[in-house]
Amino acid sequence: MSFVKKIIKPVEVLVVASKTGRVTIKYPFEEPWISPEFRGKIEIDPAKCIGCGACVNACPPNALEMIDSEDKKTLRYFVGRCIFCWRCIDVCPVGAIKGTRNFELATNDPLDLYDYIVHTRVKCRECGRVTGETTRMLKYVLEKAPVTENYNNKCPDCRKKIFINALSMRRTGPVGEKT
Amino acid sequence: MEKKLERIKRSIWVFHLNTGSCNACDIEILDALTPYHDAERFGVKLVGSPRHADVLLLTGPITLESLPKVINAIEATPRPRFIIALGSCGSGGGIWHDTYSTIGGVNSLVKILKERGIEVDGVYYVPGCPIRPEALLYAVALIRGLVEKKAKPMVATVE
Repeated sequence: MSFVKKIIKPVEVLVVASKTGRVTIKYPFEEPWISPEFRGKIEIDPAKCIGCGACVNACPPNALEMIDSEDKKTLRYFVGRCIFCWRCIDVCPVGAIKGTRNFELATNDPLDLYDYIVHTRVKCRECGRVTGETTRMLKYVLEKAPVTENYNNKCPDCRKKIFINALSMRRTGPVGEKT
Repeated sequence: MEKKLERIKRSIWVFHLNTGSCNACDIEILDALTPYHDAERFGVKLVGSPRHADVLLLTGPITLESLPKVINAIEATPRPRFIIALGSCGSGGGIWHDTYSTIGGVNSLVKILKERGIEVDGVYYVPGCPIRPEALLYAVALIRGLVEKKAKPMVATVE
């Protein structure tokens, strides 16, 4: 009896298999099925980015980092640490960050995982020292609030000096001058 | 690198090395081995010992508690040995990249291994949190040379 069952069982499996057909996907050779809600790698548009650093503050795993140097400000995106939460897209004031559904990020070279956007830092109009903001961010702020033009492209020290001067002018006249 | 890859033209046998991950990537590895995705099309087989494996599937940021065991497992793997670092935690430390109890990803692990004289022939990075099973299949197809690499670095200088 058991011998007969042993022969019949593979035949039963064959019947079931012929009913269901092939279930295996042919993935690398065909398009994968991805749901529209899937969150993949983000893409930063260098034409729109102003280098304000809002995404850097929002990023939970510090995948987006701002690296300051002498006269450059570099936004670095490291995919290898990104958790694809897309918070940066929500906070970006100019809509420079776009989400894609790209998940084919495998590589053998760690340098492939980095994206860089290099911004130039603006110089103080009074003393020529390099201040914190980028050129594009200054332009963006001036467009939004033209009132700030007087002190916006000056370094904090010059701003302080101008403020104290203006204050003392109101009370006693210019600083250092005896009247 | 390519010469070493030629030696691994046979089926790649993988050993699943969990180094303190949250188990999401581990579940996706099991998903990739089911008949639906069927990683065995490329000769991938899950083995129970690192002595039988060619490739280590490393998940999780390497915690300090698991570090000696991870080094033992990598030392036991025969040459040429490869590591596929899975997920954000494996490839870059993920959300735990600067905590006190992890060493933060496979790059610092390779540094530690070099200090101890253990060589790793190649590291593959598979970002994702967690990875899709297709992403793992893509990495395996990349090792076998079936697909072309799509990841590229971007450097843009603006005014």
